[in-house]
Amino acid sequence: MKRFSKGVAIALIIFGVLAPFIPLLIWSVARRWYFPAILPTEWSLRGWSYAFSNASRLPQALRQSFAVSTTASLLAILIGMPAGRVLGLYKFRGKTLVEFLILAPTIVPAFAVVMGIHVLFIRYGLADTLSGVIIVHLIPTLPYVTLVLAGVFANYNVDYESQARSLGANTWQVIRYVMLPAIYPGVIVAGMFAFIISWSQYLLTLMIGGGRVLTLPLLLFSFASSGDNNVTAALSIIFILPAIALLVITSRYLTGRNASLGATRGN
Amino acid sequence: MKKKIFTLLFVGLMTIFMTACAGAIAPPAPDGAEDTHAEDSDSHDDTEMAEDDAHGDDEDHGDEDMADADMMGPAGYESWDAVLAEAEGQTVNWFMWGGADNINAWVNGPVAETLLADYGVTLNMVPINDTAEAVNKVLAEKEAGQDDNGSVDMVWINGANFLTMRQGDLLFGGWSEGLPNYAFVDASDPSVQNDFGTPVDGYESPYGKAQFVMIYDSADVETPPATIPELVEWIKANPGKFTYPAAPDFTGNAFVRHICYEATGGYEQFLGEFDQALFDEKFGACWDLLNEIEPFLWREGEYPESDARIKDLLANGEVHFDMDYNPGSAGNLIEDGVYPDTVRTFVFETGTIANTHFVGIPYNSPNKAGAMVLANVLLSPEAQLQKADPAVWGDLPVLDPALMSEADAAAFDALPRHPATLSTAELSANRLPELQADWTTAIEQGWIENVLEN
Repeated sequence: MKRFSKGVAIALIIFGVLAPFIPLLIWSVARRWYFPAILPTEWSLRGWSYAFSNASRLPQALRQSFAVSTTASLLAILIGMPAGRVLGLYKFRGKTLVEFLILAPTIVPAFAVVMGIHVLFIRYGLADTLSGVIIVHLIPTLPYVTLVLAGVFANYNVDYESQARSLGANTWQVIRYVMLPAIYPGVIVAGMFAFIISWSQYLLTLMIGGGRVLTLPLLLFSFASSGDNNVTAALSIIFILPAIALLVITSRYLTGRNASLGATRGN
Repeated sequence: MKKKIFTLLFVGLMTIFMTACAGAIAPPAPDGAEDTHAEDSDSHDDTEMAEDDAHGDDEDHGDEDMADADMMGPAGYESWDAVLAEAEGQTVNWFMWGGADNINAWVNGPVAETLLADYGVTLNMVPINDTAEAVNKVLAEKEAGQDDNGSVDMVWINGANFLTMRQGDLLFGGWSEGLPNYAFVDASDPSVQNDFGTPVDGYESPYGKAQFVMIYDSADVETPPATIPELVEWIKANPGKFTYPAAPDFTGNAFVRHICYEATGGYEQFLGEFDQALFDEKFGACWDLLNEIEPFLWREGEYPESDARIKDLLANGEVHFDMDYNPGSAGNLIEDGVYPDTVRTFVFETGTIANTHFVGIPYNSPNKAGAMVLANVLLSPEAQLQKADPAVWGDLPVLDPALMSEADAAAFDALPRHPATLSTAELSANRLPELQADWTTAIEQGWIENVLEN
């Protein structure tokens, strides 16, 4: 019974997330859909047939989007975890300033800094490369990863680590068998944040990727501003599917339960 | 001990952020509008210097004088065959506005196929939202000292972006008039010699032509207004059923220029260099007229941020007029189902503004030969004919029928035309020129200050 009501709750959450996309779904197959008609008066698969034609270059964009976002979120977790641990566990002088600086990339609009970043990346030979795009995606993703993990570490009891050490565990064993199992759900959530933020980067990818790295937002945004609702809707659906899939997969970690459960289900 | 390790890692992380931020603050963002005024008086010198650069780069061909170089091949190449030989195997990164599926499909389809099959050149089309993005990219590369291995090989460009690139010495020059297919272009046509009043001087190759048309839904408006005063009358008699996009929208700016041509007593007085005193004296009348109609516009004077929004409004019957800088776009939009079948276009008896759009090659492109081959393919009668077909794109050709073979010229004549598209004769009988980019920038700023913020 409890299991059932939980299922209903999850279904409702998923519906709440999906409902706004119903018009999108209809638009992707609508040819004519004018006010005040509730449903389109004519239908067409033009949007989808363009999306899957050679002209749209969808396969390349999907491949590179996945490569960039997956690598960028893994790196963000790797870099963000130590920072999150320090911020969550310790008090030190200037902590507020550090937190502010970490948040800075989320406050400063990308457009204001992208020119400078670009010049820097050209000097370091990172412009127009896949690795350059992955590194530049760390800028918007790291603040979220760090702050989510800081929150996770704030509820983490370091005494377990001391306990493990007193039983003879070395540093690696402490991380592997004590820390990671305890924070694992938080890491998943942080990774999801990072993936979705990286997944939707437009300007940074365009400037640093130089057109040699073609991601989905690059395809999508040039249509979104042109008023072509069919193609935009079809591309949007392809664009949001991975985000929804991620939400479904990670939804069980968003329930607030933690630590022990994550530990037994294992890595 | 462990605390130290974490602190160290943390410091490393901070360094990444600081570096990113510090780099970001240093260079100012480019702004075409500002440069326009500052460098206006030097523009002639710039031209000469940049031409020298273009030839200086080409060490193999030494000190040949310009006329010879142009006769032999473009941009100092020995011959067109030398260009073809160098181009083979190159990949051309073409940065172009990617918001129309039909244009993207044509470029990635027939154009890319011809380029690869006939010349061994690979086309990588990079769809962008706004040409300024590509211009900024080249500018950033120049600031970073990336002078010979840039990422942009070709841009689809005109107007203010061309001026910005010329003033920043960002374009490769001396090549476009040497393309073999330039023979089909009427070189004396002022709209090919000038791009929004800026001399082209071989820095970009013509690609297509556009002319502003007004769009209306014949289900709601029986007879469209023939002149701008009649349009003003109509707007006042039908409150809420007309609007135009706010600057910096390209289409909205063009509409404002039409009103200003009318209200100030004609464009002829503004041809040539920008004149602030004349601008201040004459354009008050234009702002007055635009402010006069403002309360009668959609939502009592709200300006949509883009023309795409107005297309939606027209399709849904919220407004009865739209406008577009491509005379064939209304027909395409009807075919795509965006517009109802009853939509038609018209031009004012006093004419509408026309311009030419071009392709340019950034100075630091490593694939200039490949880009020139692409520009030449785009200029070919075959490509221009395909592009002019409403089923493909419906863009106006840049070639002169008198210079083509009779068969080619006949093929252009035989092109089908959507009922919503005006004939070339109707369009060309009512053409007005664009003013120099300094003027158009001033008009855009003037509209923001005197109409939007009023």
